[in-house]
Amino acid sequence: MDKKKRTTGIVAFAILALILMIGTIIVKSPGSHESIRELMRDAVLHNTNKISLFGLKDVNPGLISAVTVTGILFVIALIIRIFVIPKFKMIPGKLQLILETLVGFFDNLAKSNSPHCNKFLGAYVFAAGVYIFVGTILELFGIQVVTTHGTSMVLPAPLADINGAIMIGCLSYLVILSGGIAENKLKGVGKTLKEFSLPISMSFRLFGALLSGALVTELVYHYIHLSYGLPVLVGVLFTLLHALIQAYVLTMLTSLFYGEVTEPAHEKK
Amino acid sequence: MNVPLNIDWQQILLHLLNFVILFAILNFLLYNPVKKFMDKRFEYYKGIDDEAKKNLQQAEEMKKKYAEKLHSADSEIEEKRQASNKALSEKAAQSMILAKQEADKIISEAYKKAKNERNIIISEAQDEITDMVTRATEKIILESGVSESYEQFLTAVERSNENE
Repeated sequence: MDKKKRTTGIVAFAILALILMIGTIIVKSPGSHESIRELMRDAVLHNTNKISLFGLKDVNPGLISAVTVTGILFVIALIIRIFVIPKFKMIPGKLQLILETLVGFFDNLAKSNSPHCNKFLGAYVFAAGVYIFVGTILELFGIQVVTTHGTSMVLPAPLADINGAIMIGCLSYLVILSGGIAENKLKGVGKTLKEFSLPISMSFRLFGALLSGALVTELVYHYIHLSYGLPVLVGVLFTLLHALIQAYVLTMLTSLFYGEVTEPAHEKK
Repeated sequence: MNVPLNIDWQQILLHLLNFVILFAILNFLLYNPVKKFMDKRFEYYKGIDDEAKKNLQQAEEMKKKYAEKLHSADSEIEEKRQASNKALSEKAAQSMILAKQEADKIISEAYKKAKNERNIIISEAQDEITDMVTRATEKIILESGVSESYEQFLTAVERSNENE
């Protein structure tokens, strides 16, 4: 009986998928008002599609994504703080275990890379890691917004915007610098300034990685014959993978350099 | 001035403001409470672990102490055994001395008594012999009437008395 039910379900699913596939070919698309070249150019330069920020200013879609990510994370954090954390037990449940693993991972990352001074670093890499991860997988949800031209577009990852990437790269560098000053005063400043290329490399690494992901996804979705099956790999798996990788890379690099500049200077014998 | 890649400093600052707010929210609502709970649990289990280690150390010390006590009890028993043996030997020696003195006393008294009895017997025997000799002499005298022989006999009796 169960086997029969399962077979019926599979057949129904296959028929539905086939009908939808045929439907996508038969029904004509109204067509994009932008060519792929314009689309990709805009993804890099953001000079065509702008979105109004609460009617104050027209900004890049990346900034709207950033605000959206903050809003989503605020709601989730508030719910967890009110309903989950007060019920924490000595032997953790599933959700508690996930939260503890997440916090423990970033805390350990900070402690292992910077054993001398890591309290602020742990909180910073936690926030940065969560922001990059959630910001990157935001692409997957396809949240639609209306541009100033009246057309709709999907919210991109906040760090696929050069301004967002520069912000996080430079902020990480400033955090490293502040750690150096706090622990080693002038020597810390010297150690940090030695790595002067760090903010540029971190900013453009993030920007490049996220932009390339967005461009490849855009390419795949733009052509109908690539839209069957492939988005499952490109859209979901790649996005998840590079969300994880980018979050790890930035937090790891920040922790490493922070640990280096906060290391106490050894006296010469 | 045309900035490459359309970098907008105002938007960078807006991104920064947004991230600072996010950092504060995450730190206040998630990171700190969870970390505080984890630290509390770590301290709790560390306390239990420390207590267990302390108890184990105490048990080890007690074990060592009891082993030492056991060892000292053995040597104490040995000492007491030796002392009692010594006391016993001394007492036995003293008893033997007393017994010997008692025996000497008994022997001495017995010897004295025996000597007295012997003297009495000898004295009685002498009296009897004297009686017998007197009677015999009287008889002889009566039968022979020789005064010379009587004189000789008296001399012989005196000699025998001297010899004794």
